[in-house]
Amino acid sequence: MGPVPRTLELFYDVLSPYSWLAFEVLCRYKNIWNISLQLQPTLIGGILRESGNQPPAMLPHKAVYLRSDLRLLSQHHQVPIHFPKDFFSVILKKGSLTAMRFLTAVKMEHPELLEKVSRELWMRVWSRAAEKAGMSMEQAQELLEWVSTPQVKNQLKETTEAACKYGAFGLPVTVAHLQDETHMLFGSDRLELLAHLLGEKWMGPVPPAVNAKL
Amino acid sequence: MGPVPRTLELFYDVLSPYSWLAFEVLCRYKNIWNISLQLQPTLIGGILRESGNQPPAMLPHKAVYLRSDLRLLSQHHQVPIHFPKDFFSVILKKGSLTAMRFLTAVKMEHPELLEKVSRELWMRVWSRDEDITEPPSILAAAEKAGMSMEQAQELLEWVSTPQVKNQLKETTEAACKYGAFGLPVTVAHLQDETHMLFGSDRLELLAHLLGTSDNGTSYRGEKWMGPVPPAVNAKL
Repeated sequence: MGPVPRTLELFYDVLSPYSWLAFEVLCRYKNIWNISLQLQPTLIGGILRESGNQPPAMLPHKAVYLRSDLRLLSQHHQVPIHFPKDFFSVILKKGSLTAMRFLTAVKMEHPELLEKVSRELWMRVWSRAAEKAGMSMEQAQELLEWVSTPQVKNQLKETTEAACKYGAFGLPVTVAHLQDETHMLFGSDRLELLAHLLGEKWMGPVPPAVNAKL
Repeated sequence: MGPVPRTLELFYDVLSPYSWLAFEVLCRYKNIWNISLQLQPTLIGGILRESGNQPPAMLPHKAVYLRSDLRLLSQHHQVPIHFPKDFFSVILKKGSLTAMRFLTAVKMEHPELLEKVSRELWMRVWSRDEDITEPPSILAAAEKAGMSMEQAQELLEWVSTPQVKNQLKETTEAACKYGAFGLPVTVAHLQDETHMLFGSDRLELLAHLLGTSDNGTSYRGEKWMGPVPPAVNAKL
């Protein structure tokens, strides 16, 4: 038997397009690298509040830059990101509390569906396409009811606090648990560095072994 | 003769460690990719003022994160970055005005020495925790880069003339016009489009973008071989 897979936690919020990029790349690499990917639904609003940070879009030059950055990264990473028409309303007003509680519930009850449901939610917020994630109407209904219970609310709070304890000031945050050290990396643009820390090969955001088209 | 090299402008300030990372990687790739690298000494203070942005270190969590981020990137990129003991004093009080004016003068008078002098200034402030604001400091960096004492002193005197001051202002404004809110900023001039990329972590994306068609010949993009490409002896 080979070496024990290294645990990689990915703290993410579907409100965050950069989280989507990190998510897709790590999902591609989870069967290539010797890692155990732990998806951690997190509330970006909580992270920003706790750290005193603002969403980058609040600075006008950054807001402009974000659009082209995401457009180019979308192409390069083959992730179908499209800016929502009413960006500020979607991101800043509507937020993601219910969605992230829902994913928390999915993780607690149907962890094998967490990846697909997360992707489906990103598709709805950050893309034009939306497909079904394979959850039955019944399952979805049940989970939606469960979303406002203390159990689920607390779990999301705990996960968000865990990210804060690692020093997060935004998302995505990847935490690599190596034998002697733990590394917190911020952003979807630290994955090549992550490969270096893991001693694994970086083959770009769309590694050849995987059919990456979504 | 092959396709025309694409112009790549790198706007940088020696006060910015991430600018150093981008600088070293692009210097490694300038002889590998079909590019013409134009180094643009810029004042990060001007960029931040114009855009209303703050240095990341002003947010406590980011200040903590910066240290480990730069430590890891330093190893991965093989650039010998070490945090100055009194970081806030170096970055926020002392600044880089004279240094960047000096580099502006170097670019105007001895452009072939711009890369080396820039590197020596970074080595002072971001590797050996040495001053870059006093005249002897700047002269020392210039000398180490191969400039004669005479040339260096001449340039230093020229630093406070309107010519040099204005050139630095113009370069900084150019970066602002491209939409900069920090440094480093890389501007890639492709046949049909111009792309502004922020940060030392958009260079793999840059390689991908350098694949546009030139006069109908499709270009498959340049190859990204990590921050330390094999063709170059990268150790500093």
